[in-house]
Formats: sequence, C-alpha cells, structure tokens
Amino acid sequence: MGLARNSKIAKTTPLTPGSGIGSTIYPTRAVRLTFSAALRRPQLSDMAAIPNLLTGLRGGSRGRGRGRGQANIPGFSDASSINPATRFPRSEQAIRATDTDAAVSRLSAVCAGYLEDPFAEHFVEAASATRRLPIINRGTYTRTSAIDRLVDLFLAGSGERQIVSLGAGTDTRAFRLRARGERVLYHEFDFPDICAVKKSRVDAGAIVKLIDKQDGLTDYHIHSLDLRTIAGKEATDFEGLRINIPTLVISECCLCYLKVEITEEVIQWFIKRMPSLSIILYEPIRVDDPFGQQMVENLASRGVVMPTVQKYRTLKDQEERLAKLAFVGVSSESTDKIWDRWIDEDEKERVNALEGLDEVEEWNLLASHYAVIWGWTDESIFQK
Amino acid sequence: MSDLDRAIAQLRACRPIPETQVRELCHKARELLIEEGNVVTVTAPVTICGDIHGQFHDLMELFRVGGDVPDTNYLFMGDFVDRGFYSLESFLLLLCLKVRYPDRMTLIRGNHESRQITTVYGFYDECLRKYGSANVWRYCCEVFDYLALGAIVLGASNQLQPSAPRRTRAHDLDTTQEHIDPDTEIEVLNSEGNLISSVKRRSPEALLASPEIGRTNGISVKSGPPGSGASGDSDGTVGNPGGAILCVHGGLSPLIGTVDKIRLLDRKQEVPHEGAMCDLLWSDPDEIDGWGLSPRGAGFLFGADIVKEFNHVNNLSLIARAHQLVMEGFKEMFDNQIVTVWSAPNYCYRCGNVAAILELGVDGSGDSTIARSNGEVGRSDGGIMKEANGTLLAGPARRYRVFQAAPQDSRGMPAKKPVADYFL
Repeated sequence: MGLARNSKIAKTTPLTPGSGIGSTIYPTRAVRLTFSAALRRPQLSDMAAIPNLLTGLRGGSRGRGRGRGQANIPGFSDASSINPATRFPRSEQAIRATDTDAAVSRLSAVCAGYLEDPFAEHFVEAASATRRLPIINRGTYTRTSAIDRLVDLFLAGSGERQIVSLGAGTDTRAFRLRARGERVLYHEFDFPDICAVKKSRVDAGAIVKLIDKQDGLTDYHIHSLDLRTIAGKEATDFEGLRINIPTLVISECCLCYLKVEITEEVIQWFIKRMPSLSIILYEPIRVDDPFGQQMVENLASRGVVMPTVQKYRTLKDQEERLAKLAFVGVSSESTDKIWDRWIDEDEKERVNALEGLDEVEEWNLLASHYAVIWGWTDESIFQK
Repeated sequence: MSDLDRAIAQLRACRPIPETQVRELCHKARELLIEEGNVVTVTAPVTICGDIHGQFHDLMELFRVGGDVPDTNYLFMGDFVDRGFYSLESFLLLLCLKVRYPDRMTLIRGNHESRQITTVYGFYDECLRKYGSANVWRYCCEVFDYLALGAIVLGASNQLQPSAPRRTRAHDLDTTQEHIDPDTEIEVLNSEGNLISSVKRRSPEALLASPEIGRTNGISVKSGPPGSGASGDSDGTVGNPGGAILCVHGGLSPLIGTVDKIRLLDRKQEVPHEGAMCDLLWSDPDEIDGWGLSPRGAGFLFGADIVKEFNHVNNLSLIARAHQLVMEGFKEMFDNQIVTVWSAPNYCYRCGNVAAILELGVDGSGDSTIARSNGEVGRSDGGIMKEANGTLLAGPARRYRVFQAAPQDSRGMPAKKPVADYFL
C-alpha cells in the first residue's frame, strides 16, 4: 500500500536539476520538516512522554494518565490493587480508564496542532496531561477527522437530526458542533459515574462560554446508563430522545468492549425504535497477525478485553455484522486508508509539518488495525 | 576491576550510572570517535545489527543470541535511543563497550541520534526523569555528533563457516551445525542457533541460461513468530560482484555518488534537515525508479537502479542498512544488493515483529580479501563484465540470526512491563 502510494509520488513529483553535483539530480522537496514545530508548543513538551514506570509499580496499575479520575470518582482510579473493595471489577475499571486515555490523546493532538478543539483541555487534569508520540497524534487526528466527515455528511441533509453517542465519555464532538452553529439534538450515553464528571465539567460554565452562542448549549443531553441494561429501557426513559427523526448512533471504541450479544442488543434497540437510523463504528480489526495478537495481549494485561475484535476480524466481517442487523447500506475503511485517501494533500502537508513521523511502516501497521465502519437503514440519509 | 568494568556491570543490570561517570564516559568516547573517519573500516568477521531503540532487555537477548562482547565483533547501525524505555541504559552500555573494546564494537549514527528527534521521541524525557536534569542528555548528544556515518566491511567470506557454539537459556552449550554446504549463501538461524532455512548460491551458468531462475530459487524463509506465517524476504544472489559491504543507517543520497563523498562530509554537527548527511540517515529503498520523495519528510526514497549503480561504481557487493521496521527481522531487496536489518523485536512493545542480526564470516583461505575492493572507485568493473563472461564473483555469505523479544520476567527483573499506546 505504502509502496504504491510512494511510487505515485515519485512519478508525479517534478524533479528539477539540482546543484549539479556529479550526474545526480536532486529532487525539490515539497515538504520540509520542521521538527521544531513540536518544540514551539511549550504546554506539553516539558511533560513526561514516557509513562513513569515507578508510578505503575506502586499502584499496580500500569495505565498511563489514569489519575484523572482520582479526585472526582470514588473507586474509579488507580486503586486496582490498593483497595480491595473497589466499586467495579478490574476489567470494568480498565474500560472506564480508556476514556481518560482517549481524552489525554485528544488533548495531545490539540496541543501539537493536529486538531482544533478548545474543549479538550477541560476534560484532562493538568497532572495527567501527557504529550503522545507523533504516531498516536496522527491516529487521533485521522480517527477524529474521519468521524467528523461522516457526521457532516449525516448533518448535510435538511430537517431535524439527532446524534446518539455511545460511551461518549469526555468526547467533545457535541460542543464542537454546537460552537459552529449546528442545531442537532445530541445525546450521550455512558456509565453514571463518568456522566457525573462530565456534567460537572459542563455545569462549571467554561464549556458554554467557549461555545459562545446566544442560546448556549441547547439540545444536549447526558444519559446515565450502563449499556448492558438498555434492553429493559424505553425511549421515553431518556429525556429528549426522539424516535421519529433521522438518528445517527456513534460508537467510538465503545461497543468493542461489550460482549458480542450485548452489542447486537444495543444496536437492535435503536433499530427497533428508529425508522431512520445510521451508525458509525470505530473499532480495532485484524487481530490475526502478529501486531494484532500483540495488541490483544497488551490490552488484556491492562484488563482491556475486546470481544468484538475476536468475532469481527476483518473489514468484511464488520460490514456483514451491520448488514445482518438491517442496515441496507454499509461501508468501511481502515484508518491507514483513511489517511491516504480522505485527507487532501494540502492538509496532509500541514499535518506532516507538525511533527516528524519517524516510522512510516509502524504507522501503516498501527493504522491498518483500526477501522471506521458505517451503515444506514434509510437510503436517503447517509451515504458516502 | 576498573571503573569502566564496574560501569559495564552496572549497566548490564539495567541500572544507570552516576552523572559524573556518564560525563567521563562521554568524554572518553568522544576522544575515541574523533579519530574515526566518517566511514569506518571494519574487517570480518562482524555481526551487523539494526535499530535497538532503547529496548534494553532485547539488546541483552541480542548479545545472548549473537555472542557477547568482545567475543563477537559488533557493528551497530544506529538508532540506539528513543521509543523504548531504556534508551539511556542501552546507549551507555554500548558506549562503555565501545570505550572498553574499541576494535570489537563499531557504532554508527542513526537518525534518532539527534537533539531534535530525541526531544520528541523519548530519550530527552527519559534522561530528565532518571537524572532530574538534562545534563546527561546533553553529554550523550555531544557523543552523537562524533559517531561515524557509515562503515565498510572488508574481508567477508563467500562461504559460511560453522557457527560457534553459544550459550542458550536451556543448556549451557548447544549443538550447532558441524557441516555447512560450501554452496550455501544465506542461512537463517533461530535464537537457539537452530537452522530455520538456507538458500544455496545460484550457479552463474544457470543464471545465464535462464535469468528468471533468480526469482524462483529462493525458498520461503519462515522466520516470523510461530503461527504468524511471516517470512523473511530473501532469495539467492543473482550477481553480487565481489566487493565490500557498506553499512549505513538509512541509505543513499542523490548528493553522494561515491563512498569517498561520504568521507568528505563534515559530520561533527547535529543531523541537518537536508543534505547528504541527512539523507544517509533518513533515506529508504523503495520499489520505484530513481529518486522519490520520502513520506518521512526527510531523506529520499531510492530505487533498485540507484542501488545497483552505486554498488557497481563503488565495487560494493551489498549495502546493509537499518531504519525501517521489518516484521521478519531482515529483508533483502533489489537482487540482494541491499538488506534491511532490524534488531528491535516487538518494536515499541507493540508491533509483534521478530528481530535479526546479520553475521558475515571471515574466509580462512584469505581469498575473499583479495577478491574484494575497499569501496574505492575504479578498482574493478563491478562484476558486470564477469557476469557476462560467466565468471561471476559471489557476494558475501550471510547468516541471519532471528530472535524474539526477551521474556518480560527474565533475569529476575521486576515485571516492568511497558505500556504500549493504542487508540482507545
């Protein structure tokens, strides 16, 4: 893949005669790296890029930046081995901690200039803010851009629209959409403790101030729900949730942590109630190769288990998964291809210039193990 | 026991040495390195290693698999630091060994041996965390500026010699091969010294009769992790002319037509953003014609034609380089004229790849030294004519040792299992 693209670049890039050294021709460089770009942003550059192993040993928790919740969520923190009476089993804590991980990654990508998101910093405690490596920043950027683009497609039509974000955690998409004036009905579902933290941050006022719109943050609902119990709920149990307008369900690394049957139950719940439903999934794939096996092993050692990845191993598996659930149209793309094909050349140039990416092979390897899969039950609403 | 030996012992246990000792070590290392040319001459036998990236325990595994210093003559092609969590211990150990056994340890510079890259990719932060100040990082960076840019290996044998017995985890001494077919050109061994596969040298007659043979002679080399089906990419040489082996971290530069051009560079500086020195450390071979822009944003991509011409002009039989992750540990390209050697298994504790080192033996008869030039221009026709006449000179015999990541709980270390990043 990388080779094909490179060959294309090589052939289409005009070569200009260089400084006449020997018989060689020195190509002009369209992109000149400015490694210093990363250094010009002082906010995070002086923080540890490498997790402090001593901290990990002490707490028995090896996660990075898990400390964010410490002050706010009792029993949800670095307590796996310290306090035997924690509220959640270890595996659940680990899953809850993935939200912190995502928030830290988002802030890192924002600080390095990949993404514009003034809200990101409000969901990361200063102490756990960490600069991520360029490969992770690029991944966060690609994933966010891809979903943004699909969301924009969904919002492009006329009439009212509704978005349901599953396991939204500290996600800022609702605020970003509102800040640019979108009038979409936005619902977030997550564990009660995570919702409580988010609510408190939103209530603190800074978010609404940043949105800078006269009517502030309207049409935005946070619903406390353990998704495993959704079967027993009705749409009316969730304030403001409507069933009669086109709805987009987003699962950004959320359903992948649930048992396969439960993920089906969750998606079915929406299908049964909403005649016009679209869905976007962002999940790891391809666990059969050495990288994938290592990923499963590494995450398992952190207590993060992803049942869906074992069942839906390829893009095709993922598409069939949605097709079986009554989605009339399905499509998918792995994140390495998204970077290659969705991001236009100017934007790639901008992103490339932010930080040097030292290992292209590593990027292709990592990015090809994540995919965005999307589907729709209503032809007219949501197509590529 | 000298201070240096004590420091080596301490670093082997993965414990950093005090700042004052680092300062002294770096000073000594610089005095040593300043005497080296940009292109160091190394005589076979030598074991060539690729990127290490601070994976200290895997470096220890490398020494177990490849033999200890000074028993084995090592050439490391850069990228000692960044990414892994023990850049400091890894680099300082290699540096100590360099100072202790200067003739048995060659270190050349990788693109990560740079101030700018180490501030982004971890080494700077690691020094800060382990010493509380950036002094040690600064001392190390000063050493980076003195590292050679490349090496020329002379006197590599065209025939594989039986590998010496070496210690293994399971037994004190393991049996190794007693007899090696003189026609064997490439041999792949696992970490315990057992044969995974071998490739026979192709006869010039067969080559001339049917050039396509070159593409089918190679056997599939299953060197990946068990069950992965990963295979090293290599088949027998089509026509490696006799000649030296150039070792460089990244690859070639459009500004460098001859090895002598490398010798003329002023290397004692931070790696520049462009130019010949940058290209040597950043470029990659690729399936293209001529030169192409690198997706890394520094250095270039170069195709088979570039490599073949360079090797011909400089009378090289092979370019050994590192710089690119190879899932199978090594990868030969362009009719075996260039090889990528990657020595960081399970790179970043995440990639699931195996690692490799490349052993070049010395020929007891001394023939090979006569047949090879030292990389100077004009010594021979690079084998082109010989090939046409059916008197093909052979490339060096190559033994790859493939190994996996060190077990996390080996050597009585606490389970400091590093955390790899994913998108969650």
